[in-house]
Amino acid sequence: MTHTDAVQAAPDTRPSNSTRRLRAGLFGLLWALAGVALTIVMWELVKFVGTIIELPMTTSDTAMPHVWTMVAGFAEPEVRGSDTTVAQAVASAALYSLLIALGGFVIGVGVGLLLAIVMQRFAFFERGLLPFVIASQTVPLIALAPLITGIGNRVSLGPFEWSSTYSVMFIASYLAFFPMSVGALRGLQAPTPTALELMRSYAATPRQILWKLRFPSSLPYLVPAMKVSAAAAVVGTVVAEISTGVRGGIGRLIIEYARETTAQPAKVYVAVFGAILLGLVAAALVTALDVYLTRNLPKENHA
Amino acid sequence: MSTSPSTTTAVHASGVWKIFNEGQSNEVTALQDIDLTVGQGEFISLIGPSGCGKSTLLRVIADLTQPTRGDVMVAGVPAAQAREQQNYGMAFQQAALFDWRTVRRNVELPLELQGWPKDRRAARAMELLEMVQLADFATHRPWELSGGMQQRVAIARSLAVDPPLLLMDEPFGALDEMTRERMQNELLRIRQETGKSIIFVTHSIPEAVYLSDRVVVMSPRPGRITDIVPIDLGERNEDTREAEAFFESVTAVREALRGHGGGAVRARAGEV
Repeated sequence: MTHTDAVQAAPDTRPSNSTRRLRAGLFGLLWALAGVALTIVMWELVKFVGTIIELPMTTSDTAMPHVWTMVAGFAEPEVRGSDTTVAQAVASAALYSLLIALGGFVIGVGVGLLLAIVMQRFAFFERGLLPFVIASQTVPLIALAPLITGIGNRVSLGPFEWSSTYSVMFIASYLAFFPMSVGALRGLQAPTPTALELMRSYAATPRQILWKLRFPSSLPYLVPAMKVSAAAAVVGTVVAEISTGVRGGIGRLIIEYARETTAQPAKVYVAVFGAILLGLVAAALVTALDVYLTRNLPKENHA
Repeated sequence: MSTSPSTTTAVHASGVWKIFNEGQSNEVTALQDIDLTVGQGEFISLIGPSGCGKSTLLRVIADLTQPTRGDVMVAGVPAAQAREQQNYGMAFQQAALFDWRTVRRNVELPLELQGWPKDRRAARAMELLEMVQLADFATHRPWELSGGMQQRVAIARSLAVDPPLLLMDEPFGALDEMTRERMQNELLRIRQETGKSIIFVTHSIPEAVYLSDRVVVMSPRPGRITDIVPIDLGERNEDTREAEAFFESVTAVREALRGHGGGAVRARAGEV
């Protein structure tokens, strides 16, 4: 009987998994490049059309610099006569923001997971806590920033000094925890009744059920939640940097460069590219985590 | 059915009632005054139409749900204690294998929960995979296996802690007819090798007859035992399925399901 059954599990002769994935990856890259090329063409087309007829928006070189001006802008000195180029300044600001966002992401994911575990374990917590979790996201970020800075500045725990960088990180984590807690809660509730009965029949403890069943079966939910959390942490960091006035990050840089558009119109766009790069790096980190975490799961079961 | 519970009895249920939503308008009597004794090494099938309480009875024996009234003893101890002591193994219609574990690590799961050391549980799992003839697939993932193979892994897993009793809830219900018959032979072989007592829930009359020493016939609303049909077919083999005695037993169970003699039960036969 093993013989006929075995046919279904026999190794197939089609291209190996890694070859197939590499090919899919290359195609993905090609499409992404095509998208970028299309965006550039559209941008220049709009500018060109703007020179012929009047468009309901300004397409002047100050508001919409040419793509090549932007590229050239990378190499310009940040301020007249300085050694650092705009690209270098943007890169170091992006790195600064990335580290804050990473901190916010880690805290947010940790808090979100903990909340989900508590809400899953105790039904009254879910009923009591979930409305607050949802309500927390309706508070406008702009209103939150001064509040947190205000409270944070009064925090003193011995040698620990609050800095406004922590306020930014806190706001980033405040945005990041929400998708995580909601996604993780759904994931922890994902096991089938049969799987739960099976664990009960083994007289498994709640902790064993959490680690050996609920947590592994929540992975397909955790990973997309983490992607949303990472994006939220990045956006939270950039916006919080602006509203708390923290220097050194990409958010502040965008504001500063925006003031200089008359002199160096391409500068602000370089900063925006920095913010985009920041988001891409964050997304890449989470994708790497995804590949690692779901390496043992059937590929069609998760996005 | 008044045999006193002893250690030579695999399962002893007496006066078991299960009433859902008792005292409310949507009250349902899932089990009504069930008495059942399963001897050591005996193969019992529970058969009956949907809603007759056969799965509920199995889950009461497994202590996955508590009876409203009555007592259940498994291997001489109360059902709750039997579950704590892992005195039974369970298999469901869905194999319920964990996708993130290899086949071998799925079989190891109950041992892991009992705190067995790594090398011992790996050895035990391989021994069981040998028994269900899946040793070659130890490092595969469950989703790479056919339905029948998955169910064999589930059976191996239910045998992991070497419990004296197997509780099986329509384990072959989702399999095609051919696979199903092979699995039945497989189960009988495993039973012969291990001497387990088995309680087997099924919808299929031929399956119940082929596998069992006794077929417990149940009837719905309220769920109760209406008849117990002893099956005497001796050693089973492929000829058994075509033997005169087999068809006679099938007929006997079918008539018991229709409720021969009982007018009230006959009226419900249309729902089967």
